Amino acid sequence: MSDTLQAPQDSEAQESQVDETTANTDADATEDDESEHESLLVREGDVAGDYLERLLDLLDYDGDIDLDVEAGRAVVSIDGGEDLEKLVGPRGNALEALQELTRLAVQQETGQRSRLMLDIAGWRADRRQELSDLGTATAQKVASSGEKARMQPMTPFERKIVHDAVAAVKGVYSESEGEEPKRFVVVFPE
Amino acid sequence: MSFLADSLEHLVRGIVDNPDDVRVELVTTRRGRTLEIHVNPEDLGKVIGRGGRTATALRTVMAGIGGRGVRVDVVDTDH
Repeated sequence: MSDTLQAPQDSEAQESQVDETTANTDADATEDDESEHESLLVREGDVAGDYLERLLDLLDYDGDIDLDVEAGRAVVSIDGGEDLEKLVGPRGNALEALQELTRLAVQQETGQRSRLMLDIAGWRADRRQELSDLGTATAQKVASSGEKARMQPMTPFERKIVHDAVAAVKGVYSESEGEEPKRFVVVFPE
Repeated sequence: MSFLADSLEHLVRGIVDNPDDVRVELVTTRRGRTLEIHVNPEDLGKVIGRGGRTATALRTVMAGIGGRGVRVDVVDTDH
């Protein structure tokens, strides 16, 4: 195991030694870009946090706002009292709408499109587990029956989770079909 | 009910170029209650959004926080 891993590591090290100057310059530039990107994401979180905190104040809802950067995007999570369910809405539709508005508010301040993710009352985390289980179960059914299965219409966020779950099951693959907002996942036998 | 108007006003102020020009009024007509969004004409496009997407998002959030049955209109007038 360690032998096979070592070979590519060595050749990479040699490559960077061959042209050390260029390699270093590239590395520095990448680092600068990354920290610039990182600070933009932190700023996105700050703007979003202010926007949402003021909303909670006006609504008189209890909620703690947590800011984070995950997988190259700003993540804002609100947790707290039962009132927050109203900001999630049926099937998370109020949450999706508020995320959209929050992204616009961020873009208004930074001048750049935001891919910020908003979660409220752990809804996305719960939904992720549910959808992942559903994707796995559907994939297993298709694998054993050999017949394709159409799933319910879902948001892009939801379909991504299902695709990931299906991809982990052997003998099946998935595609999205239909038009937004009724786009849905279809699972096929291979 | 004023928390609905105040919240909506805040949500709109954050996404426009002229936040000071934003005003939301709760008006009652025979057809029911309506939250009227008034913005600077330059910001109309921003509040409505592509294909009405932003106006829909505003309506969806308002419905969630208890404004179900209250209409949300973007008022398209130079006053």
